[in-house]
Amino acid sequence: MKFLVSRYNPDRDAKPHMQAFEVEVWRGMMLRDALLEIKRQDESFAFRHSCGEGVCGSDGVNVNGSNRLACITPVADLKAPVEIRPFPGRPIIRDLVVDMSQFYAQYKAVEPWLVREDPMPEQEILQSPAERDRLDGLYECILCGCCSTACPSFWWNPDKFHGPQALLTAWRFLADSRDQATEHRLDALEGPYRLFRCHTIMSCVEACPKGLNPTRAIGHIKQLMLEKAI
Amino acid sequence: MSRKASGLKAWVLQRATALYIGLFTLALLGVLLFDPPHGYAQWRDGFADPLIGIATLVYIVSILLHAWVGVRDVLIDYVRPLGLRVTLLALVVLGLVACGLWASQSLILVRLV
Ligand code: SF4
Ligand code: SF4
Ligand code: FES
Repeated sequence: MKFLVSRYNPDRDAKPHMQAFEVEVWRGMMLRDALLEIKRQDESFAFRHSCGEGVCGSDGVNVNGSNRLACITPVADLKAPVEIRPFPGRPIIRDLVVDMSQFYAQYKAVEPWLVREDPMPEQEILQSPAERDRLDGLYECILCGCCSTACPSFWWNPDKFHGPQALLTAWRFLADSRDQATEHRLDALEGPYRLFRCHTIMSCVEACPKGLNPTRAIGHIKQLMLEKAI
Repeated sequence: MSRKASGLKAWVLQRATALYIGLFTLALLGVLLFDPPHGYAQWRDGFADPLIGIATLVYIVSILLHAWVGVRDVLIDYVRPLGLRVTLLALVVLGLVACGLWASQSLILVRLV
């Protein structure tokens, strides 16, 4: 099967170019296996990966135009020639390895931890099963970045717009019955950029390998803001 | 618009005006389809009715506000140089205000003539 892989060496190349590889495909082969095979053919080829089972979130790449985790993308589902590029809109460090610092900075900016005003109880803070259920579809995010780097609004303003990943996380803490910083969190999301650059394009939903729905989370945030404003 | 209100307020404004524009356009289409006015005199009398006049004025203002939020969104997304963005925003405001004034004066003229 033919693979076209984006190559870029900052010391040598002015801009990325595509290089062709021929890889023998076996039953159940995942895209990560193909990338490893390509690395066997050309040791200078660089890409990130670790767990190999869709848990660590390190091997997000752009495959035939969509952002995917290589390790859980069956090669059999892909149309040849398979074009593999780094995440769009991110500065390329080398080949498929991109600089995700802005993505992490946006994550950090939503203060992804529980904030308590009340003194901490002796033991754990209890939640009812219903309260716990509100976190389903939110806490599973593995920070792979497939969503934010598929979001046009994030491409244009990665420094000012939080992007779908960070906004999903913002809602994960707003929705948490144990968190007591609702007003502070909502205030921090005001203004034309941080939240409101989202135009409900839904590229993020399509991209998420964990089946999460950042667009819906963003809708919940806007609704909560509205409720608190009137 | 204060900095603090520029996100949520713009968004709510966009939704609310969209709703009104939709409803008014439907009503307008209904009238034009089922009970269209014949001749200028009937048109003029229609708009001279205070209720219709006010509803039309709200319609005009809604379109202008809706256009403003939409164009502002596009400019914020795509026009990065601050000077150029401010100039374009100013031009859009001038254009929209001009449209609004022109539309309002025709509504007023209808009542005078
Ligand atoms: S829905 Fe919003 S966050 Fe998701 S891709 Fe579209 S603009 Fe980005
Ligand atoms: S929301 Fe989905 S696509 Fe986005 S970072 Fe989390 S797991 Fe990845
Ligand atoms: S290697 Fe860990 S998610 Fe793919």
